[in-house]
Amino acid sequence: MILLISSKYDVSTNIVIQWLNYYGIVFLRLHTEEFSMLNYFSVSNKSISLTINDINLEAITGIWHRRGRLRNLPNSLNDLGKVTTYLKKEEDSLIKSIETSLRTTKKYIGSYISEIENYKLDHLIAAKECNLNIPDSIVTTSKKGLLDFHSKYDQIISKDLRYAINIKTDDISINSTGTFKVTDELISELDDHFAPIYAQEYIEKEFEIRIFFIEDNLFSMGIFSQQDEQTRVDYRNYNDEIPNRCVPINLPKNIKEQLLDFTRKVKLNTGSIDMIYSIDEHYVFLEVNPMGQFDWLSKNCNYYIEEAIAKEFMEL
Amino acid sequence: MKLDTPFKLYANCVTVKGFNRSTICDLQRNDVRTIPNDLYDILTNHEGKTINDIKNQYHNEFDDIIDEYFQFLYDNEFIFFTKQTSIFPPLSLKWSDPAIINNSIIDIDKNSSYDVLKVLKQLDDLHCRHLEIRNFDVARVDVLENIFDYLKENESSIQSVEILLPFFKDVEKWIDSAKHKFLRVSFIRVFNCPFNQNIMPSGNTKAYIMYTKQHYESELCCGKISQNFFAANMKAFTESVNHNSCLNKKLSIDKNGNIKNCPSMQKGFGSVNDTQLKDIVTDKDFTKVWSITKDQILVCKDCEFRHICTDCRAYKENPTDEFSKPLKCGYSPYTNEWEDWSINPLKKEAITYYKLQADTEKP
Repeated sequence: MILLISSKYDVSTNIVIQWLNYYGIVFLRLHTEEFSMLNYFSVSNKSISLTINDINLEAITGIWHRRGRLRNLPNSLNDLGKVTTYLKKEEDSLIKSIETSLRTTKKYIGSYISEIENYKLDHLIAAKECNLNIPDSIVTTSKKGLLDFHSKYDQIISKDLRYAINIKTDDISINSTGTFKVTDELISELDDHFAPIYAQEYIEKEFEIRIFFIEDNLFSMGIFSQQDEQTRVDYRNYNDEIPNRCVPINLPKNIKEQLLDFTRKVKLNTGSIDMIYSIDEHYVFLEVNPMGQFDWLSKNCNYYIEEAIAKEFMEL
Repeated sequence: MKLDTPFKLYANCVTVKGFNRSTICDLQRNDVRTIPNDLYDILTNHEGKTINDIKNQYHNEFDDIIDEYFQFLYDNEFIFFTKQTSIFPPLSLKWSDPAIINNSIIDIDKNSSYDVLKVLKQLDDLHCRHLEIRNFDVARVDVLENIFDYLKENESSIQSVEILLPFFKDVEKWIDSAKHKFLRVSFIRVFNCPFNQNIMPSGNTKAYIMYTKQHYESELCCGKISQNFFAANMKAFTESVNHNSCLNKKLSIDKNGNIKNCPSMQKGFGSVNDTQLKDIVTDKDFTKVWSITKDQILVCKDCEFRHICTDCRAYKENPTDEFSKPLKCGYSPYTNEWEDWSINPLKKEAITYYKLQADTEKP
């Protein structure tokens, strides 16, 4: 039996399930939005055992951890302020230990731990060590440092070291989609010292590349931004914006090998990698998302990624 | 436009050659454009070359036309320019589906007495996802309510249900009262109405409800071919390339409870009363029509729209030829004109053969 840990709203999970049914693979799906009752996670000299929702996970041969994580804290304990904060930390360590334990004995694709510890600098360094090109990057707390960095490149961008910011209180709401251009005006408004800022040279791209990987399989897609404003001629009345062209790419062999090296180095058996192909003709690694979306990639390129995922669990 | 950088077609813009002209089927943006066959040839033979190279190949005799062609392709974002031509493979035209049967038509009339729920249970075992239930002579409210209850109370593979039924007094009241059971009902069409009205899904029902003055006499209404039914999308296109665009993975039950590919077809494969659906879906006789593609069908194989079009194997120009053109198609790829199929003198014999009443076919 296969255990699926995912959001109940995730379309990709539904499609993978259709393929599991097709191949006769029995599965148990647990939703990350709902409380899962942990009967026990027992550790003794003799054995390690886990029972959730009255189901002993002994029978589980593989896990596809698609999104999020299980919730073992009853909903009634969610509103106790600092006590809840403490209990959530305890729960978090439990969830991670369960993943680590299952990972040692079973085929475990996907990882909450990797998703939560998605440190972009680590990945950038690992990519460089695998001989992939990376953009020149800097983290600095000084205005002078940022100005010096900016002076070396036509344009620079800034992004988050881990997550995009999303803060909401009664008084303020701050959120961002991630990457933005850093202009002179923006820098001039800064104090001399500030919280660490992650900046990167902006590389002019011919096209973007998104690569979904699972084990040793790479599914690559080229994404073309609008060719230019002129081509937005209004010959069709689209309700939505005209989507960027997304087409299959067969990456050069050496890039594929470097990417697979990278996935092994950072110990990810699934995820989505963002790259660009620059106008000066280099493949450049940007970042990896351990639990990225792949539905659009599968559909636009006719890749049947969901079937490939189901097949990973066929001979267990 | 770059005259000295090689061009590539975006892989999800697929060209289809017809007798007089061709199409670019844009499977990402769900659009179709007709193009001259000359342009089809350029795209097929010269993809990966520069525009200037192509002009040279034609000894610079057609530079203006070639410029015009490429401006059209570029403006519509069918092509891009890159030196990296080798890393962009053509689109895989694979089609695959995780269901043994993926859609089913169930006809029920006033005399139907077969066990519909027994059929639904078996369709679940075959992973069926889409269901179309049709009432022609009388609305079988009793059976429809049983189906709603079944779908509400059971885990079922069926994701969407379309219903066709004739108008009756208080039909709106009935629909309103049954609404809370429409969890999987996506579309209800009530015909023979004294009025036309469309009601969008609202609240927690995702059903789209259409009241129409249109008349549907019987299963003989089916099988019409029209531009309105064209579907330029990845799933439909790739299915059409590999399989029959109407009957693939379809299983139907006619009003008498007979298992058929489609209720309009003559050949039955036994009654649901004494035949298991799972035994039929492995019967080669039953599944052989699944693989009749448009590339094999007379006339259709010369049509530039063949892979975005529907098909009909029940009503054919030549009823005895399994590869004959759909009878209810008025398009000719040889003249590129649409005509009213029902008054075509050449089709009269076949229309009589099927006892199609041409006058009830129209709105």
